Amino acid sequence: MTSLAPSPGRAVPRPTAAAAAVGVAGALVVVLVLLAPLLALLAHLSPGGVRAALRQPGALDPLAVSLGASALAMLLIAGAGTPVAWLLARRRLPAPALWETAILLPLLMPPLVVGLLLVFVLGPATPIGVALAHLRLSATNTFLAVVVAEVYESAPYYVLQAAAAFAAVDPDLEDAAALLGDRAARRFRRVTLPLAAPGLATAFAVSWARAIGAFGAVLIIAYHPYGLPLQIWTTLQETGLASSLPFALLLLAVALPPPLAALWWSARARRRR
Amino acid sequence: MLVVDVEVPRRRFTVAAAFEVPAGGRLALHGPSGAGKTTVLEAVAGLVAPSRGSVRVGQRRLLDTVRLRALPPAERRVALVRQRPGLFPHLTVAQNLAYGLRPRRDPVARDRVRALVEAMGVGELLGSRPGSLSGGQAQRVALARALLSRHDVLLLDEPFAGLDAGLQAELLELCLAMLAGSAAAAVLVTHDLVAAQRFGERIGVLDAGRVLQLDAPDAVVARPASRRVAELVGYGGFLPDPGLAPGAGWIGVHPDRVAPGASPALGPVLTGTVRGCHPAGGAWTVTLAVSPGGEPVTCRLGAAAAPGAPLTVTVLDPPRFDAAGRARRAAPPTPERARAV
Repeated sequence: MTSLAPSPGRAVPRPTAAAAAVGVAGALVVVLVLLAPLLALLAHLSPGGVRAALRQPGALDPLAVSLGASALAMLLIAGAGTPVAWLLARRRLPAPALWETAILLPLLMPPLVVGLLLVFVLGPATPIGVALAHLRLSATNTFLAVVVAEVYESAPYYVLQAAAAFAAVDPDLEDAAALLGDRAARRFRRVTLPLAAPGLATAFAVSWARAIGAFGAVLIIAYHPYGLPLQIWTTLQETGLASSLPFALLLLAVALPPPLAALWWSARARRRR
Repeated sequence: MLVVDVEVPRRRFTVAAAFEVPAGGRLALHGPSGAGKTTVLEAVAGLVAPSRGSVRVGQRRLLDTVRLRALPPAERRVALVRQRPGLFPHLTVAQNLAYGLRPRRDPVARDRVRALVEAMGVGELLGSRPGSLSGGQAQRVALARALLSRHDVLLLDEPFAGLDAGLQAELLELCLAMLAGSAAAAVLVTHDLVAAQRFGERIGVLDAGRVLQLDAPDAVVARPASRRVAELVGYGGFLPDPGLAPGAGWIGVHPDRVAPGASPALGPVLTGTVRGCHPAGGAWTVTLAVSPGGEPVTCRLGAAAAPGAPLTVTVLDPPRFDAAGRARRAAPPTPERARAV
């Protein structure tokens, strides 16, 4: 993650006023195009309609499923992905390119395909499915299935960006901490983690947005219980566009704040250095 | 006493260095870029793994490849200051200084910090972030941080390179003042011979991974062990030894060890033609083509000389080398000659 701002002291040619105006106008057009769906959503919603839709019995269940599953998925991703990202960044794994490709693959594959293939890995008749059944668990059409599908859809975003964040930490600083008496765990906590934190926050933000919005793989392997994306989909199928919009608003309301807060914090932390 | 004897394989050659530094003593390692100076320090600090060797401080073995012992850097009690100061950018100067303090909230330690901060003139910087410091300030903080950490050995790897000459000299003096009374063994790595001579009680001349000579600061210039050492400590020309058959031996001419005029009692007298003359600080660098044959020699003289003019100079007690480039032991200088030099 590099800053787009010019580095201080570098001479940037000053545009003329007209060129600057054209530039601002162009950027505004781009931003408006990108934000158009959001503006459309707000334009087509009435507070009364939203209230009515969300007051129906069970209307907030998908919200609970989405929040719970995404929180658990992110816990798993951050817990297992952070060490892997560090190993990748410090080239501590043999054949690093292979590892990177393997982690990238779920991101490159269409989510629908991931979902289909997951059925063959985690379905009730598979060895893993049988093993889970012994634990009275199932990874299809359960809360666990939602979590698994979300992990597959969002983990690569976190791991690869976290690896980039760790790689950007100067190894000389870790050496300096070691020579000042810190063993590995302590210098990770006091130097590596704080320095990588802004990058990790960005990685977390993007990954969270992917997890809570996951649809393709979820649709196949976890049709029940509904999370918000599936709730939107089924409402759209059954009763039409207008009645699915309140759920879209709800999904945005829970999906956007954490990543926006993380991005804001990350930008602020970078500026302070 | 720091005792080092390590071999570290590198791409083009193996760095093999052996030396000792008494507790409270100072050694300077001098050599060209890529000679392996930094590798030697990294081996002592535990940042690279030697293929063979040992490092010990007093009775503490930091490394012993025979006994398969290698303490991690965190347990070596070795402080290192590099050319890049390596301050933690997310911590304030005060937090950087306190980083290596053990235990951390100790009143004695706090007094030590305060005294050192005052002596090193970094008091006003305590609340700043490293990103806002100038190069000289950052290096002062890095040095103070190293001195405050628990260490038996202080390693300085070109710590002041990249700063202007005045600041380099100032920080070197500050460093020496801070080391006075310290029990740590200190090693400075530098390609600046003058800094090496000011710092080191002894100087090791390093080239292509080998310590070619380990000697007193004046001796490496006055009596270089080989023609290569002479080149590395600034000898600017080599002439056939007038006392020997042509090709059987050489004398080294150091620009600073040449006097104008003929004084045969002080050394060989050269007569030649001035090829060039350029100001060098307060003196003049004169290039002299010596007849017959022989490469031109450079010398620093107090007065300018006109190009093309004849010039006679005396090479003061030059080192002599045999045809293979090894130092030949000349007759020891007579007392009056030594005084005159």
